[in-house]
Amino acid sequence: MIASNSVGRAQGRRRFVGRTAVAVALALAVTACGGGSGDETGDGNVTLTVAVWNLAKTPEFTALFDAFQRANPGVKVKPVDILADDYPDKVTTMLAGGDQTDVITMKNVTDYARYSSRGQLADITDAVTSTDTSKLAGLPAFNVKDKYYALPFRQDFWLLYYNKKYFEKAGVTMPSQLTWDEYAKLARSLTHDEGGKKVYGTYHHTWRSVVHAISAAQTGGDQLGGDYSFFKDQYEMALGLQKDGATLDFGTAKAQKSDYRTIFESGTTAMLPMGTWYISGILQQKQKGATDVDWALAPMPQRPGATGMTTFGSPTAFAVNKRAVHADAAKKFVRFAAGQAGAEAISKLGVVPALQSTDITQAYFSNTGMPTDELSKKAFQPDKVVLEMPVSEHTSDVDTILNEEHELIMVGDKSIDEGIRSMGDRVKSEVLN
Amino acid sequence: MAQAMTRSAPGGSPPKRPAWRGILIGWSFILPNFLGFALFTLIPMLAAFALAFLKWDSYNSPEWVGAANFRRLLSDENFYVALRNTFAYAGGHIPLTLVAALGLAVALDRKLRGVQFFRTAAFFPYITSLVAVAVVWNMLFNPTAGPVNQFLHALGVDDPPRWVASTDWAMPAVIVTSVWRDMGYYMVLFLAGLQTIPKEYYEAARVDGANTWQRFWKITLPCLRPTTFFVVVMLTIQSFKVLDLIVVMTDGGPGRSTLVLSQLIYREGITEGRFGYSSAIALVLFVIVLTVTVVQFRLNERSSTR
Amino acid sequence: MTALPDAPPAVAPPRPPERSARPRSRGPRLVRRALAYGFLLAVALLVLVPFGWMVSSSLKRNNQVLTVPIEWIPQEFRWSNFIEIWDRIPMATYLGNSVFLSVAITLLQLLTGSFAAYGFAKVRFPGRDALFLAYIATIAVPWQAYMVPQYIMMQRAELTNTYWSIILLQAFGAFGVFLMRQYYMSIPDELCEAARIDGLTEYGIYRRLMLPLSKPALASLALLTFVNTWNDYMGPFIYLTSNELWTIQLGLRSFVGQYDAEYAMIMTGAVLSVLPIVILFLIGQRYFIRGIATSGLK
Repeated sequence: MIASNSVGRAQGRRRFVGRTAVAVALALAVTACGGGSGDETGDGNVTLTVAVWNLAKTPEFTALFDAFQRANPGVKVKPVDILADDYPDKVTTMLAGGDQTDVITMKNVTDYARYSSRGQLADITDAVTSTDTSKLAGLPAFNVKDKYYALPFRQDFWLLYYNKKYFEKAGVTMPSQLTWDEYAKLARSLTHDEGGKKVYGTYHHTWRSVVHAISAAQTGGDQLGGDYSFFKDQYEMALGLQKDGATLDFGTAKAQKSDYRTIFESGTTAMLPMGTWYISGILQQKQKGATDVDWALAPMPQRPGATGMTTFGSPTAFAVNKRAVHADAAKKFVRFAAGQAGAEAISKLGVVPALQSTDITQAYFSNTGMPTDELSKKAFQPDKVVLEMPVSEHTSDVDTILNEEHELIMVGDKSIDEGIRSMGDRVKSEVLN
Repeated sequence: MAQAMTRSAPGGSPPKRPAWRGILIGWSFILPNFLGFALFTLIPMLAAFALAFLKWDSYNSPEWVGAANFRRLLSDENFYVALRNTFAYAGGHIPLTLVAALGLAVALDRKLRGVQFFRTAAFFPYITSLVAVAVVWNMLFNPTAGPVNQFLHALGVDDPPRWVASTDWAMPAVIVTSVWRDMGYYMVLFLAGLQTIPKEYYEAARVDGANTWQRFWKITLPCLRPTTFFVVVMLTIQSFKVLDLIVVMTDGGPGRSTLVLSQLIYREGITEGRFGYSSAIALVLFVIVLTVTVVQFRLNERSSTR
Repeated sequence: MTALPDAPPAVAPPRPPERSARPRSRGPRLVRRALAYGFLLAVALLVLVPFGWMVSSSLKRNNQVLTVPIEWIPQEFRWSNFIEIWDRIPMATYLGNSVFLSVAITLLQLLTGSFAAYGFAKVRFPGRDALFLAYIATIAVPWQAYMVPQYIMMQRAELTNTYWSIILLQAFGAFGVFLMRQYYMSIPDELCEAARIDGLTEYGIYRRLMLPLSKPALASLALLTFVNTWNDYMGPFIYLTSNELWTIQLGLRSFVGQYDAEYAMIMTGAVLSVLPIVILFLIGQRYFIRGIATSGLK
């Protein structure tokens, strides 16, 4: 349509199209600089805007804001509430439009990599170097060429939830450390019928991390590398359980949008490998009386001969918008949230803070409804938490491919070897070329 | 294409009126809608098309890359997969929805006690929450426990398709679901169209001894042509840019077996931040649909002048 | 390209209506009617199954919704969900916002769409058909493709986070123009000629002749536009940030958290949000009445 004005001389037309295109695009880029307005409220008071998801359902944000406002009387935090579902899409669009919201929550590390590489976030490296951040879990994930554009305030990692009722009934106790083989055997033996309803030994949710991230963490494999043979053992275990009916089959779980909370809280499974975010979820449901599941925690199963407890996880962080109106206050907030006071505020809600110390763990387990046994506490202190998916410019492209092939293996459309081979081939030819 | 359009002749303007008057009056009708349309849809759309020749991450200044985005397209396997799937979807969805919607409209265009209930029921799939649609239809299509396959088993099919758990049968399952969902929507359009057919035609045909089937072919269908044409064009366009049902039902899977162009446009643009490449795909989609639409216009023209 | 198709009904001229009763036996007719009802009822029930799931889910607890296999009848009927939802989210505000947006957009779409359609269908001028084709073709571009440029424009005009953005975006679509044009096409040109001879201006013909004649089309356009605006999620999501501007669809999505979703609440809200559409649909059907097109002849 753009070409309609040119009169057929190919070259002239091309030049015209080119100029028009650049002009339009430049107009876009230039216009992007305007818009928004700071809301300075007279007497030195600052209203700090923070982009968060689903404020009403995410109490840790409110807790952080309250704590921060108490510590900084001059600052008022005004949340910009965005739906959790499509949070990154809206943030991308807003930032493209030149939005000036001061603080932006980074839902995951992949999004962080994207915003930081475009230069949309302010450099806050000095906040890292000026304090002791050795106890801040998940921080290395935010290192971009020795610069930091965000600080994590929350760090979730994976462990094994189990339903104590089914263990007691079967007369077994949860061993203090399982290997994957022992786990699979246990899952098979715990599968049974209960009053006409099937109880699965374990439930693997449909996310690829259940197979991929854990094997990468425990074998040291690289999910961005293009060679995925290290997934094989984990696939054999997962498909074996599925074949024997010891876990809900992937195809059904995916198509019926099965909900791991429903499965665990209704007693449909004896075990559930899942992230620590679910702890606060169970606590709430039990408080409301929506479930009577008697639960506890165990470490993630390990590979045979492994030393120590290795699992995977992912941090959540705050970053400062490069176009922030109140950049200083914003930075202050980011540091506050990642610090001791922030950690205390959110651990009261059953949320796992990025800042780790024995005090905070103790405080965490003193929440009402938490399991009190030693194994649960041990599970909560893994020796090594590997980042769920490494960060690079290729992360999300590789993620898409691995997801697609994972699905094909799990529904039985491809054999494990075929699937792993085509993962490698596709990643190499489509992304790493 | 652009030239062909600007050359188009005035549609046989009636005598006695100067051309400028027609232009003035014509535009005065069109302008209110056109202004809003041009400002808020056309201009951003043209900007997006311009992006197809640029590299843009939504933030930094764009970079002129010429046809690089299109070259990338030619070697992108995902694009071919999505293109093929989109055509497969359109090829199934368009005719089936057309027949279902027309059938419903004709069946429900009569004085029948409770006809309002049935019309409302037929429209319900369109307003049912997509999550409910996905969960229930996926349950119906469940390879082992689903009623569809149990029925096929009862019919003696030993090895029924695995539907959404299979790369070959996921698309047919999606098409069936989408026909079910959209038929009520297009039924409403057909219902409105049916009201233009004068009752007298049917009365006359009855006197001549035409049966129901003949009346449908000789009166209903020809008189309904403007509506049918509208429905066919809209169905084509909507099929080629299908997105939401697929995202909720299969999310392109298993593997890439139901990945469609709109999904790829969305993923490459908003998610991956390759706005130039995303626009290039959108431009290709636009050209495809435009071609199909022009053909449909031509065919309709020919059959109406026959 | 030559003129786009006008499609005057290519059928024999109407004969005077004959209301004389033809001899017919009542027996088979009753049987046929019963069969038709039975068939329609069966189809209707099949079609409504997913909606049934919605209603059933709206009466459950959140962690009882997505069970495998599906539980069609709730273990306990939690009617309280329908009360609780009003406390959980500002439903009344959201519903009001949705009504406002849907009504405003529908009215504008009806008005400008039918007006422009008259220009495309009954006024002849050079370039008309090419312009029309271009109009239609733009529907084919997925919104996601130009969403960001559009947002930047709106931001520049400082219209984001206001209702204006959504209204301006959605009220001027080509869909309504196309629908109304096709309908006008089926109204014989002779009618317009006769009116012109009677001294009506083109605007007069539009208002006095076309609008009344096209009630069924206006009704269906109104209904479909209303439903699409009512159910739209992405547009309001991108443009409306302040909570007090949110529509019902955004409100329902607010039950989806980062790691969990309150499915029962979502379904409760979805059931509630369907009601206005059903009412509108029942009302709108009054306009699906045959014979308006010819009644204006004299």
